[in-house]
Amino acid sequence: MELEGIKLLAAGLCMGLGALGPGIGIGILAYGAMQALGRNPEARGPIMTNMILAIAFAEAIGIYALIVAILIAMVV
Amino acid sequence: MPKRGRLGVPFSVIVGASLVLLALFVVSFLAGPVGRSIFGDLGLPSWLGVPRPDPRLPADTVFHLFGFPVTNSIIATWLTIIVLVGVSYAVAHRIRLIPGRLQSLLEFALGWLLNFCQEVAGEKNGRRFFPVVTTIFLFVIMNAWLSLLPGFGSILVTGAEGKAVHLLRGANTDINTPLALALISFVFVEYFGIRSLGLFHYLSKFVNVGQFSRGAGQLFRGKFRAGISGLFTGIIDIFVGFLETLSELVRIVSFTFRLFGNMTAGEILLLIAAFLVPWVLALPFYGLELLVGFVQALIFGGLTLVFFTIAVMSHKAETA
Repeated sequence: MELEGIKLLAAGLCMGLGALGPGIGIGILAYGAMQALGRNPEARGPIMTNMILAIAFAEAIGIYALIVAILIAMVV
Repeated sequence: MPKRGRLGVPFSVIVGASLVLLALFVVSFLAGPVGRSIFGDLGLPSWLGVPRPDPRLPADTVFHLFGFPVTNSIIATWLTIIVLVGVSYAVAHRIRLIPGRLQSLLEFALGWLLNFCQEVAGEKNGRRFFPVVTTIFLFVIMNAWLSLLPGFGSILVTGAEGKAVHLLRGANTDINTPLALALISFVFVEYFGIRSLGLFHYLSKFVNVGQFSRGAGQLFRGKFRAGISGLFTGIIDIFVGFLETLSELVRIVSFTFRLFGNMTAGEILLLIAAFLVPWVLALPFYGLELLVGFVQALIFGGLTLVFFTIAVMSHKAETA
């Protein structure tokens, strides 16, 4: 298999597998936030702020996978 | 006068605008690469197409200034600085008790940010951390939003090596800018920590040999059981301190790649959307890019604020 084909395969696999973890993680975070919001609608401010902060951490991992995929497909 | 519809414009205007949009979509689809691969070359003029995007990660040098290479992202940073300083000067120059429009806008933005800082860090600390956090926030958000204007990535000039390079490039897409901001954030976290807690107390979070040396001292004095348990807890403490140091340093890398990755991915997304269906497909992605720019600025500033708050918290209460 020549280099061009392997490069494309690698980029696709990298992004696809790398999006699994962050996707599930963000879903779990949002689930916790929705539950907390349902129990205590008055605490909307702090809940939303902390949820957005935690989602940023989880999302960063997915962005690392995207960077590697772009590097493989377009730069190497 | 034609009857004003629900949206505030007459119904015929809405129909006309939708038809124009549909025609533009069909023509761009046929002239772009997707239509060309389905229907073949229909003889549509070549200026309807967009060249294939060629993303280059390192920024290109445009000219040299006293031997220092000035890249196109540095020029974009200058533009952001000019815009921010210009707006601030125009408002501060004639500040009034009853604010005009620009002053109200700036007051709203700064008031919202001060409220955010004080919510997360408390009253006094929020006011103390406000300048650094606001600077980072405004810099990142202006970099991100100004890079959406036409002119970024389309004006070509001859660069330092004689090739054609873009004159302007979004500053957040060059990895040096997020790296610089992450380093500044790191330095200020240490500064605020040492300033609030004192050098020794702040560094004891990272180099935690107190329990270990107490355990060794008890061992020498003959109390074996207390000495051994103290020694073990001390070893765990040293290991935890080492992990804290590591996590401080990894934070720099994480900040850099979060901002760089989001902005570069957004730029490549816009370029590819403009390439596939030239005139129309990029429009919803512009909305996404506006949102992403705002969220990333908020994340960078907000995480910096959270780390400031953690750094000035005293942890003496944990020792038994």
